[in-house]
Amino acid sequence: MIVLREVIQQFGGRIVLDIPELCFEPGRRYGLIGENGSGKTTLIRLLAGTLHSSSGKIVGLNEKRIGYLPQSPYAFSFSVLQNVMMAADGHGNARDLAKSALSAVGMESLMNARGDRLSGGEAQRMALARVLVRSYDVLLLDEPTSATDVRSMDLIEQTLQDAIQKTHCTLIFSTHSPAQAKRLADEVLYLEKGRIVEMGNAEELFREPKDDRTRAFLQHWSLKS
Amino acid sequence: MITQIINLLFGTDPELRQIIGVTLRMSVLSTLISALIGIPWGVAMGANRFNGKVILSRITNTLMGLPPVVAGLVVFLVLSRSGPLGKLSLLYSVSAMVIAQVVLISPIIAGMTANIVSLRAPSINETCAGVGIYGWKRLWLTIKECRIPFITTILAGFGRSIAEVGAVQMVGGNIQFKTRVMTTAIMMQTNMGRFEFAISLGAVLLLISFVINSLVHRIQEQTQHDRPA
Repeated sequence: MIVLREVIQQFGGRIVLDIPELCFEPGRRYGLIGENGSGKTTLIRLLAGTLHSSSGKIVGLNEKRIGYLPQSPYAFSFSVLQNVMMAADGHGNARDLAKSALSAVGMESLMNARGDRLSGGEAQRMALARVLVRSYDVLLLDEPTSATDVRSMDLIEQTLQDAIQKTHCTLIFSTHSPAQAKRLADEVLYLEKGRIVEMGNAEELFREPKDDRTRAFLQHWSLKS
Repeated sequence: MITQIINLLFGTDPELRQIIGVTLRMSVLSTLISALIGIPWGVAMGANRFNGKVILSRITNTLMGLPPVVAGLVVFLVLSRSGPLGKLSLLYSVSAMVIAQVVLISPIIAGMTANIVSLRAPSINETCAGVGIYGWKRLWLTIKECRIPFITTILAGFGRSIAEVGAVQMVGGNIQFKTRVMTTAIMMQTNMGRFEFAISLGAVLLLISFVINSLVHRIQEQTQHDRPA
């Protein structure tokens, strides 16, 4: 279990994340929703270890294999296949693992293309393949489908479902799409201004949100969609 | 005028060719040494967070704007007979001019390198951390990704080196057939009223600068085409 206690993150004196207590159960899927600046990316980066909290503790991450897909993953200038193989080095047959991961995200025809010449959506799929080429205990994805079209999004979601079923890892992802959170997550956390407003079972939270702010956010989203 | 330039370049008088030779030798050598110092210095500043980074950046930025005569004065004092390296008898030699150039150009290459690396490093670091790549492997990937802008930086350093006059005049002494380079020769010939010679040297200098700028432009264009919008 991953536990956050009294975690506060400040940037230039401004508190961007304030979490008194939060637990992530192993093997569960958590979807983070909220507007821009709500703290989703900060929370994921803290869990990934690429950001160190201003105060507080995060326990339960030591010795866990953590895979992390940042919001703007870097596409290296070598081939797509090599971009994925770099993550599989020392984990069996890197080439076969990379080819299999690329096929899963529908990128087999672009294996020899240069990584830095891909479109935004293609680069995002390649980056997801790079993360999924290995097995993890915890998978952290920061808006994994923000640049993809609907068809690619379906493919990515299916790939994620398959990978999670196979590895039984804990999934924590952020998304701007509550619908995606509903489809992928067991539990949904609604964040606003760096605080968790509501956390609960995905079905229940969408059917009957307890907090007015969550209700307003979901209503706004349902009016837009 | 063009005929005179061609005559000076390819005629019987070897002086112009000799000046061009010394200039290129000094510029190439000082650029290579400055790249060997400036690139690791810039990569260290751009790719990492460490205590003292802010002060190191400020020092580098200050040195980027170091006036050539100040660099010349410092190297002159260090290499002069009573200076700490006086025993080496390097003053008024091409080596002294190379040292002065390295003092001037290394911070420029370091500063430009740090800017290039710091633009890419955050994204590369996040991506590498996400798949468990750290340390030297991550640093090597960062350097590999910056290789083309690094070439631009080195060429910019060469351009700065070949056009420099103040420091090389002070530590080289503008000695005929020894330390006279194109810029110091242009100054001297102009003062003497030998404008054809000065213009010929200026034309060669401009041609070299044009070739370097074209190379930099071409590399920059190539890099931009490599990345999709």
